[in-house]
Amino acid sequence: MQTMENKWEMLEQTSESREKIWSRNRTFAADVWFRLCRKPTAVAGLLMILLFMLFALVGPFLTSYSYSDQSLEMVNIPPVMKVYDVGSCRVYITPSLKLIRVDENGSLTGMLPVVRYEHEKSMTIFDCDGKEVALYYGRSVYVVCDEATGNIYPAGHIWNHDHLLGTDALGRDILARLMYGTRVSLMVAFVSVLVNLVIGILYGGISGFLGGMVDAVMMRIVDIISTIPLTLYVILIMMVFGQGLQSIIIALGLVYWVDMARVVRGQVLSLKQQEFVLAARTIGSSSRTILLQHLIPNAMGSILVTATMLIPSAIFMEAFLGYLGIGLRPPLASLGTMCNDANANLRTSPHELLIPALVICLIMFAFNFLGDGMRDALDPKLKK
Amino acid sequence: MNENILEVEHLTQHFRLGRKEVVHAVDDVSFCIRRGQTLGLVGESGCGKSSCARSIIRVYDPTGGTILLDGTDITHMSQKQLQPLRRKMQMVFQDPYSSLNARMTVRDIIAEPLLAHHVVKNREQANSFVYPMLERVGLTREHADRYAHEFSGGQRQRVGIARALVLQPELVICDEPISALDVSIQAQVVNLLRDYQQEKGLAYLFIAHDLSMVRYVSDVVGVMYLGQLVELCGAEEIYSHPLHPYTQGLLSAIPVANPALARQKKSGGVAGDLPSPVTPPAGCRFHTRCPFAKPICSQEAPCMKEAAPGHSVACHLYD
Repeated sequence: MQTMENKWEMLEQTSESREKIWSRNRTFAADVWFRLCRKPTAVAGLLMILLFMLFALVGPFLTSYSYSDQSLEMVNIPPVMKVYDVGSCRVYITPSLKLIRVDENGSLTGMLPVVRYEHEKSMTIFDCDGKEVALYYGRSVYVVCDEATGNIYPAGHIWNHDHLLGTDALGRDILARLMYGTRVSLMVAFVSVLVNLVIGILYGGISGFLGGMVDAVMMRIVDIISTIPLTLYVILIMMVFGQGLQSIIIALGLVYWVDMARVVRGQVLSLKQQEFVLAARTIGSSSRTILLQHLIPNAMGSILVTATMLIPSAIFMEAFLGYLGIGLRPPLASLGTMCNDANANLRTSPHELLIPALVICLIMFAFNFLGDGMRDALDPKLKK
Repeated sequence: MNENILEVEHLTQHFRLGRKEVVHAVDDVSFCIRRGQTLGLVGESGCGKSSCARSIIRVYDPTGGTILLDGTDITHMSQKQLQPLRRKMQMVFQDPYSSLNARMTVRDIIAEPLLAHHVVKNREQANSFVYPMLERVGLTREHADRYAHEFSGGQRQRVGIARALVLQPELVICDEPISALDVSIQAQVVNLLRDYQQEKGLAYLFIAHDLSMVRYVSDVVGVMYLGQLVELCGAEEIYSHPLHPYTQGLLSAIPVANPALARQKKSGGVAGDLPSPVTPPAGCRFHTRCPFAKPICSQEAPCMKEAAPGHSVACHLYD
């Protein structure tokens, strides 16, 4: 009988090899970042937020318009215009039945002067480089035609080169206003994060850590604050500080930390019972060390997730207040006030509502995606 | 310098459950631990071993009795007064998973007691204590920057032991340090504790429910039942001459490794369930399950008395 050849080689076992940890040594932050990067939606959310930041902070330096520049001639012009080629030039019919000359790039070069009104023919006659062209408004689709023959000039679509996203009811450039509006939204997001991270964590942490009567009193204060709607605070604060962004920010700063305080308190209450906190007590660590080194770092996962989930609701709150007309003072732009301004011309110029509404959606989407990804990345139990 | 590092007299620990109900977790427990010795505390789950340990280390505020740590009465000290004394007394916890902070590296975990007691000023200085301590418990310097969740259960428990020993305490309370570990790892941890004791001469209060392990580590063994100490004597004595019926029952429940002998052995153990510590039985608390119960047992509580030299028992059978 043939003996089996031993294909295995005996290795010497040392205490060092037995105790060795083979996984790579990564800090907690690096670990979270690694897991976040493996989640496409979270990366997409993060990229979108970065793009919006660039758009809001760098954008205004790249455009020649400001949020308040009005041009009453160029009112309610969409981003993509239907233009008629009348031979010597192209013209665009504004919703207020005027003709604007458009060059071949899509730049708006000026209004055509009116020659006369032909009311019985439902026409207005304009002068285009000496040639008379008629705007016929007898049917719902207005056209430009030759007055005598009634031949409609050939039409085509062209991108608005001067105002990439069109203009609003006062002839202000929507793209420029959008940049300022996004800036307001991101500012609100930043303030809400700051307030949550500072006041919310400390208040909730202290309340949960001390427990007993202190906790009961502190949580009743939170209950009182959270039962009164934020809208009411904003209106009351506006009575004192006047209408504007500062009132919204003060209102957010005063009351927007209550949800975070509740989350942190709950976390601290449950973590407090864990043995590592007991261990810190028996070691003789101070309450400050226990709170700041043991309890809050362990609650950080839910804190960050709550923060990223609260940002969209803060942004939405600001937009909502703006839409109701209790936000910024008029020349200033926020996404909500832009939506509100667009209401009047919704039928003729839907782009004025759709564009800021889309931006609100995208910002909220981005933060929600990021928050969702963070929740998974911060949970060490999901580690692969 | 006191001969006894810890003296516990008539320690009582009650917890309120709602308005009227009170859990009698620890009732009138007295014992002392000499320097460099180990007292093993055994008893079934829920008999108040851990509560006893936690009142001694003053995580709980004792309801009654006195605790003398190296001659100093710490029973009613405030946490602030207690802080400097905590250097003398440290604790090793049962669960190696929840007793280490998942957000801290092993270096920070072991350095925490040093920083809390101002032995060192910063983390860099702590390294001169942390590295030797890590090597002492069988880990290496490379482990210092790892997080607790990267370690195995046995390694984590050794980190917990390193944390308790780094201040060179005189008394370490081990609250079931091995019951969450694999059998193969248990010996490793127990030997580490024993070797360190021989080196530094520190005392242990060793809580366990594994009787054979307690026999191996302890000089003196105390048996607890429903919050009370029922028997206290030398480790060998309690295994050779158990007096209290409860101790006898516990010892007969130890599984025998040899199957031939196991078949011969009568089925041992203690019949019945542990009564509720909220409403403990009157008289001797064990009389509801005791095979030798007499009428007096349900009327009068027996007190601890010396039945043989160095062997105390609380039972009416030895009056």
